[in-house]
Amino acid sequence: MGSGTFRAGGGDLVTDDRRFVMPAAGAPAHVTFPPMVRATLSSGARVWTIHHDTIPVVTIALVVSVGSACDPAAAPGLAGVVADLLDEGTDRFDAIGLAEAFASLGSELSIDVGPDTTTFTLTTLTRFMERALALLGDVMTRPRLHESDLERVREMRLNRLRQVRSSASAVADRAFLSAAFGAHPYGHGTLGTSAALARVSIDDVRAFHAAAMRPLGATLIIAGAVAAQDAIEAAERQLGGWQASAAVSLFAPVPAAMSSGLARVIVVDRPGAPQTEVNVGHLGPARNVDEYHALVTLNALLGGQFSSRINLNLREARGLTYGARTAFDFRVRSGTFSCETNVQGDATPLVVSEIFKEFEAVGGSRPAETDELERAKSSITRGFVRQFETSEQLAHAAARLATFELSADIFDRFVPEVEAVTPEAVSAAARRHIRPDDAIVVVVGDASTWREQLAALDRPVEDAEIEF
Amino acid sequence: MIPFTKHTLGNGLQVVVHEDHHLPLVAVNVWYHVGSANEAPGRSGLAHLFEHLMFKGAAHQPHGFFEPLQKAGGSLNGSTSADRTNYWSVVPEGATELALWMEADRMGWLVPALSTERFETEREVVLNERRQSYENRPYGLAYFALSEAIYPSDHPYHWPTIGYPSDLRAATVDNARAFFEQYYHPANASLAIAGDVRTDAVMRLVERLFGAIPAGPALLAPKIPAVPVAPRRLLLEDRVELPRLYLMFPSPALFTEDDAVLDVTADLVANGRTSRLYRTLLHDRRRAAGLGAGQGSRELGSLFQVVATAAPGIMLDELRVAVMDELERLATAGPSEAELERARVQAEASFLYRLQTLGGFGGKADQLNAYNVYTGSPSYFEQDLDRYLRVTAADVQRAVRTFLSAGQAVALSVVPQGQRQWALELSEPAVVTS
Repeated sequence: MGSGTFRAGGGDLVTDDRRFVMPAAGAPAHVTFPPMVRATLSSGARVWTIHHDTIPVVTIALVVSVGSACDPAAAPGLAGVVADLLDEGTDRFDAIGLAEAFASLGSELSIDVGPDTTTFTLTTLTRFMERALALLGDVMTRPRLHESDLERVREMRLNRLRQVRSSASAVADRAFLSAAFGAHPYGHGTLGTSAALARVSIDDVRAFHAAAMRPLGATLIIAGAVAAQDAIEAAERQLGGWQASAAVSLFAPVPAAMSSGLARVIVVDRPGAPQTEVNVGHLGPARNVDEYHALVTLNALLGGQFSSRINLNLREARGLTYGARTAFDFRVRSGTFSCETNVQGDATPLVVSEIFKEFEAVGGSRPAETDELERAKSSITRGFVRQFETSEQLAHAAARLATFELSADIFDRFVPEVEAVTPEAVSAAARRHIRPDDAIVVVVGDASTWREQLAALDRPVEDAEIEF
Repeated sequence: MIPFTKHTLGNGLQVVVHEDHHLPLVAVNVWYHVGSANEAPGRSGLAHLFEHLMFKGAAHQPHGFFEPLQKAGGSLNGSTSADRTNYWSVVPEGATELALWMEADRMGWLVPALSTERFETEREVVLNERRQSYENRPYGLAYFALSEAIYPSDHPYHWPTIGYPSDLRAATVDNARAFFEQYYHPANASLAIAGDVRTDAVMRLVERLFGAIPAGPALLAPKIPAVPVAPRRLLLEDRVELPRLYLMFPSPALFTEDDAVLDVTADLVANGRTSRLYRTLLHDRRRAAGLGAGQGSRELGSLFQVVATAAPGIMLDELRVAVMDELERLATAGPSEAELERARVQAEASFLYRLQTLGGFGGKADQLNAYNVYTGSPSYFEQDLDRYLRVTAADVQRAVRTFLSAGQAVALSVVPQGQRQWALELSEPAVVTS
């Protein structure tokens, strides 16, 4: 290499062979997950600490194993309302006072309601750790849950629901989740619906709160520049007295989802929209699936990153989109597999048919090639070290352990497990977990240009109004 | 707070190295001091389209930038603003040479890999990006309308960084080559390397890989016409549910006097739950469905902005009056000592949090380059923090009085299609060039 290279207009360069040969990637960097020190508070909550001493910062994450899947059937969104109300005030502070108290620690409390868990996260300076734990203790043990706060939260969430209706990706996500899971508790997101929100009473909130926010089964994770013993003692002082206000949790376990069995095309018409949002997919496995590492590898190869098959096809070769990605959304009891992209309107039928071709090919006509598989695996295994940089990354990794009740050696087994994935394992995983025949197609855009062509997909086409 | 050494190669390339041995990880970051502000009339969007082309391959890596670096465990991206274009990768330590080699190859030898076919495909990708991120997103065209209204047509901030579709369609691969020749050369670039490296060893590598790239032509700074300051009212109909008001005030450039004061002011006025308008408009009176404020700092001049989304049935004029009244109160009475103390703690904390990551947008390597490119000194971190720590009540009062009066505000009402009655009275339709 090196001959014939030039910088246009820049004159001749003396070529230097060594300079023009791409260097190898070098030896992989081996890292191990930092040890966790585990204890149990006198409240019954677990506390896990992770020492990470780069800068004087601590991340605190509290994982409670109740999420939107625990919403009563008639009240989708209730877990989200309860989470919103928790930082609307405590016995000591109103909503603004609480935000000011966190801000004066250089911090901010974020509450994330997922399908299976609710996670409270904050990052603060190490010197403020105990004060931050005290505020978190207030939020967990002495929330106000006032009627007037509920009214405000209700109104803000109604406004939010109203606004997301005009976001094509939010419409598509909602349509897909609801079609894939049907009436299953995973079939709705944390925002719920306006109709359900209008009915929620403060008694509903208090009852859900009593059943959900309990120390037993909760995990407090403290990661950062703090000694384990200091963190555990501070946690005991501030959260040791947390008591459940109801004797037993009222939630039935979430069942595994059964396929609604209705592969179909769901059209949400937005006349005049310049782009089409496309989601194609179906139900998928839970996080504890045996083939987890084969699926992670398969996804990296097919659509998980920029250099995956689907993005190279739709973006790099054809210029039809700004990007296309696939993902397995692993949950505790089930999950989904889907491909999401946003494409120019007139390319909608072509894009959908190309996605189907790629789904078919990876388990059939074009199985993973050796080189391609090695690339996918090495991107995952070599890139693993990037997940250990910040206290927040470590805390969230530990939060996944808590959410899925995984054993602590999962991180150290991850790289060898991915390295051991064979082409046959990827093909088998693809055949089992990517099923074009079952796929639901959600298309949100100006249907006048492509509705008729989608009939060729050999599944019913239905127009949908998505409830918000 | 970020120890570094700075070096300048014979061809003018500035190199900043920061050692951090906590993890076997290295961040490589390159800033080219060129953005959409450097574009010629009729060529809007070229800087950003060019950024895309930088990932498509160079003479000795003709198959693109992503595959070799992702295979090596790296993550990578780039971005373009009005003022600069940046490129970053974060790789395991063993791939340091690879990441630097890739950067050197596209800094020196991009053009041979630049084909018409690649150019045309990438133009379609960018047009998709524009439709997805702006045209098809609620309120997505608001800033385009505001830039066109606030900046005169020959001002470099008049056009959007993503470009006008008509200009993008008219651009050719020859325009891209010429752009590379003019702006992509060592003397217009700053390379930052942060992480698990030894400075002397990595500098030998840099010298070997980048040293022979020829220095480019001298560059002229863009001309900056004056920005007229006059009140205006504009309206835009969009696929939105709730009307939203944007109040924009031309304000001092990045890192100049009062820039940090106005950043603090934005937080006090309408940013987050601890802000004054959050309490009054959202929490207490529920007239707004959303609020935000910011000092949008840029190299050639900034815009201070307050953005308020109306709760259903609320007129935008009520929000406008509430914002202006709050600014008036700040000008008269200033912020309280408690507000300033909170702002100081938040500044200290947010600067500390910025030290957590080596690479990526806003990581340590990116910050070193930002300071180096905009101030000439990678060590500006401490001075930057100090700007925030020393803000006084009198500073806030003076800045609000000087820059944030009603006579300086450009107001844009974004309203649902066909519902102009929700806009501020006497608003004229905004222009969004397509």
